[in-house]
Amino acid sequence: MGNPIVFGILAIIAIASALGMLLSRNAVHSALFLVLNFSTIAVLYLILNAPFIAMVQITVYAGAIMVLFLFVIMLLGAEQLRGVRGDWRGSERWQQLLAGVLTVTLLIVFAVVLFQGGGATGSGVTAVDTSPSALGLRLFEAYLLPFELTGVLLLAAMIGVVVLNKTKKRG
Amino acid sequence: MSEKILEAPDTVQNPVEQATTELKQRFPESLSDETRPGYEGLIVSPDKLREVATTLRDELGFNYLSSVTGVDLIDDNKMEVVYHIYSIEKGGGPIVLKAQVDRDNPVVPSLVPVWPGADFQEREAWDLLGIRFDGHPDLRRILTWDGFHGHPLRKDWKEPFYEEDHKPFGSRWPGGGVRRAEELNPYGKNVQYPPGWVPTGDEYEVETDLYTGLTIKKDETIDLKTEQVTVNIGPQHPSTHGVFRMVVTLDGETIVALKPVMGYLHRNHEKIGERNTFIQNIPYTDRLDYICSMSNNLGYVLAVEKLLGSEVPERAEWLRILNVELTRICNHLWALGFLLNDLGALQTPMLYFYIERELILDFFEALSGSRMMCNYMRFGGVAYDLPDDVRGQPTLQFLDELVNERLPRALEQGNELMTGNEIVQARSIGVGYLSPEDAIAYSTAGPVLRASGIPYDVRRAEPYSYYEHLDFDVAVRYNGDIYDRYLIRLDEMYQSLRIIRQVLPYLKETEGAPIISGKPQYALRVPKGGEAYARVENPKGELGFYVTAKPKGSNPERYHVRAPSFINLTALEKMTVGHKVADLVAILGSIDIVLGEVDR
Amino acid sequence: MTPGQLALRSLIVGFIITFAVITGFAYTTLLERKLLARLQGRIGPNRAGYIPVPTRSGKPRRFLGGIMQPAADAVKLFFKEDITPAKVDRWVYTLAPMLAVIPAILILAVIPWAGEITILGQTFSPYFAIAPGVNVGIVFVLAITSIGVYGVVLAGWASNSKYAVLGGIRASAQMISYELALGLTVLVPIMLADSMDLGEIVAAQKGVIDWFVFRQPLAAIIFWIGALAELQRAPFDLLEAEQELSAGYTVEYAGMRFGMFFMAEYMKMIALSAITATLFFGGYRGPFVDQVPALGFLYIGLKTFIGLCIMIWIRATLPRFRYDQLMAFGWKRMLPISVLNFVVVGIFIVLQEEGILQPLFENTLRFLGIG
Repeated sequence: MGNPIVFGILAIIAIASALGMLLSRNAVHSALFLVLNFSTIAVLYLILNAPFIAMVQITVYAGAIMVLFLFVIMLLGAEQLRGVRGDWRGSERWQQLLAGVLTVTLLIVFAVVLFQGGGATGSGVTAVDTSPSALGLRLFEAYLLPFELTGVLLLAAMIGVVVLNKTKKRG
Repeated sequence: MSEKILEAPDTVQNPVEQATTELKQRFPESLSDETRPGYEGLIVSPDKLREVATTLRDELGFNYLSSVTGVDLIDDNKMEVVYHIYSIEKGGGPIVLKAQVDRDNPVVPSLVPVWPGADFQEREAWDLLGIRFDGHPDLRRILTWDGFHGHPLRKDWKEPFYEEDHKPFGSRWPGGGVRRAEELNPYGKNVQYPPGWVPTGDEYEVETDLYTGLTIKKDETIDLKTEQVTVNIGPQHPSTHGVFRMVVTLDGETIVALKPVMGYLHRNHEKIGERNTFIQNIPYTDRLDYICSMSNNLGYVLAVEKLLGSEVPERAEWLRILNVELTRICNHLWALGFLLNDLGALQTPMLYFYIERELILDFFEALSGSRMMCNYMRFGGVAYDLPDDVRGQPTLQFLDELVNERLPRALEQGNELMTGNEIVQARSIGVGYLSPEDAIAYSTAGPVLRASGIPYDVRRAEPYSYYEHLDFDVAVRYNGDIYDRYLIRLDEMYQSLRIIRQVLPYLKETEGAPIISGKPQYALRVPKGGEAYARVENPKGELGFYVTAKPKGSNPERYHVRAPSFINLTALEKMTVGHKVADLVAILGSIDIVLGEVDR
Repeated sequence: MTPGQLALRSLIVGFIITFAVITGFAYTTLLERKLLARLQGRIGPNRAGYIPVPTRSGKPRRFLGGIMQPAADAVKLFFKEDITPAKVDRWVYTLAPMLAVIPAILILAVIPWAGEITILGQTFSPYFAIAPGVNVGIVFVLAITSIGVYGVVLAGWASNSKYAVLGGIRASAQMISYELALGLTVLVPIMLADSMDLGEIVAAQKGVIDWFVFRQPLAAIIFWIGALAELQRAPFDLLEAEQELSAGYTVEYAGMRFGMFFMAEYMKMIALSAITATLFFGGYRGPFVDQVPALGFLYIGLKTFIGLCIMIWIRATLPRFRYDQLMAFGWKRMLPISVLNFVVVGIFIVLQEEGILQPLFENTLRFLGIG
């Protein structure tokens, strides 16, 4: 399945769209590049014989989360980024520091993966059973803890939103 | 059914005389009687106007300001503001207050603090006559545009195509010869521009006042910074029922502030009316509320009949009532169809109602020659008797079938399909609420007033024509929301059918009787002069005509229309603030406006 | 099949479906206009083209007047001036109509139009699997419909108009709200058939009695409502809302770009009707479909047609919701009901698999004194 040409094209699109997302000065354009990126990743999943994950990737990230992003951007009218391209040095120092640390970490992970030859390769993955019962068993047996943790996290977020909304109304 | 019969007003003790005496006792120095022949009312000194109005409203029960208008008394070098004030509870005639001020600097205290319903009417008087109202919160031009120069209803204001003061002209060719149209060019000497305005440039900033009025201070306690947007709904918009514009400030979808802007269809109906002869004005009234031309005719004809003192034969009265009530049904079918269309019911109810409306229009066409611009009433009667047949049926049989079968069936069907619909109810119950107190204070009239629980109907309160002999109920609903304004129109259509059923036998009985008193006149002159105010219960509300004339005059000296659509719009902001954009459209639909009447 | 053959087959099927659906879209517009007119007591378009039917009197009767109306509309749209207003975001403004149409066509890729058909000795399935062997067709449908909203939202934003932005904001909020209920109801047929493959879901509904609509009418109703909301059809057509937003997101578009939004809407109507038929009404299955597989086209076509008619009927009948009522309906009614339904169906399936359901049922009957 892992056709190197297809993979190459997809990889280029993915990286280009990620860069576009970072460099675009318009928040809506950034969001669109991110959607493109998500879709490309979904196709990569498809190549890796994981169609369910691919579709869920599109439904959840591209279809729901990014729509919400756009909703917020449009509602707040926050399309244009403040600040001019040249003077990024001056402001928001701690964010820059954080970004630097994260970049270094990510590079280290890449290096480790590359040099140790670990991680998944296209040819190594076999087709998985995507019937609903098989997926359910997988979620509730192999990945029970992460699944439950995600559930609790989302619940907490939801309660948080409800609480915040209530205080707003009272004030 | 929540309907009440309003008793015919007690004529034994005239409430108007009573209140007048009472007022004179309280304000002996500042009130004086009208002395001109043919005129009535009290002349108030402007500085006491607000106190007199407050006393009338709070203590004497005259709580409904129907009409405010200005009159240019150029011969006395004075400006006069005329107020017609009625009593909702007692019914009967008006107390007429008049304030006269110097023509060169006309300033009258505003009555908006007493009656918010004076808002648009005072703005109109400022716009057209240049009377300034001291203490008015938002005194801007309303019918003409912001850059308009001068006040067109002043007698010394000349329009660009100015020919003579009145029609018919003394000579067919004034000045002794043909004048070409290009010589009457609007950029000629009759037009003046405001200082600093260039016709071809956009330097002149119009509507600054309008937009500044809408700037709302944000609530700082809410930390979510949403953007407030100001949206222009209209003048080109599918659901403003014409070229009507609302400037709306929105927070998300919620309306924070609203200003109606009108006048896109303004043609200065009143100026035209003052130049025309009396009879030339009848077809012009058709164009006010172009859906109800019959009842517009009636209002104007009644006013002029008061001046002329003419009698109306019996058959003409029955014909008038028949046509006016058919017009009411016609208008309400239209209004309900459009209200539901505004609620998003894609034209279906509208088209269902149109089937029966077509029949009524066919009848009008057979009767008067025109489906909508009927031009049917005349001074002292009506223009034509009933036709022999309509749509291939004998007229009375056609009317009988229409009133007893077709229309009740159509109303029943509409009622069945829409009244119980969950989405209609969810969209309309509790939306656009107008309290009874506000409904009176804002001078609303017609279905809007009665849906707020005020059983006030001119046909009962101050009966005209033969309405006092007819048996019908004044429809009233008590919740003051869109749903009640929807229901009350259904109720009123049922009452109209009831009235027509009583009229039909008389039409049969009086067949062949005269329909107009005297012979038809074209160049009629008012014998004594004076003023007259007549009002009728138009489908959209109280339509009033204020007409004054000089002795032996062939033209009205002052011709004012109290337009119900226009005055009902005063309450629009009150009804809409806090609701959603979608509700705004429905509320506007429930007021039922026609721009021909709003803009005049 | 080699990958080359596979690609060729996919290409051919894809072409056929796309062209069939574009024709279908054109005639759905005519169907809507004609049917809506009939429901409102009007005639509808009847001038453009007709089929002459010979009569005895010699003058042919005009049958199906207005049959060429879609072609006339298309010509009109193509020749209209294609306006790009000043101060719009050109890229996004151009992209938006395309983003609306592409997902609408993509949904149709996974619908099984018929069973296996043998043409010229070659067995052939008119059913475009995403990849052979692995199939998650129904999740694909959800994924693509969720992408579909981008066209609307971006059109609203890029037009640089307040009406359009309001339409876009409404669209995004509405889609997210109704997708949840839609997704949860889709799970019901998945569980009943124990497959995410639309072909297998159809196969699980062998006879009319087995149609999932009879086993799960609630799920079918919620799915239909959710589908209407997803399609932005009446009474959920808030983002076009002629009466309020005077056309919403399309207000600044003209010509064929405007037409593309309608293309997307009608194609999605066809697609979601077909999917409803597939999930709840036995898809292409019907009498004699096992003997003559080609009948499958007819059956699913008929079921889709009925779905379209119901959509149009609803549009002619119901007023529109208000924005906040729509949200409240989605979150406070649809979502809890679909969650509850989903849980109950799950419990029953487990009970049945464990062999408890049958004895439980019998014991209850006995307890009630019926059995």
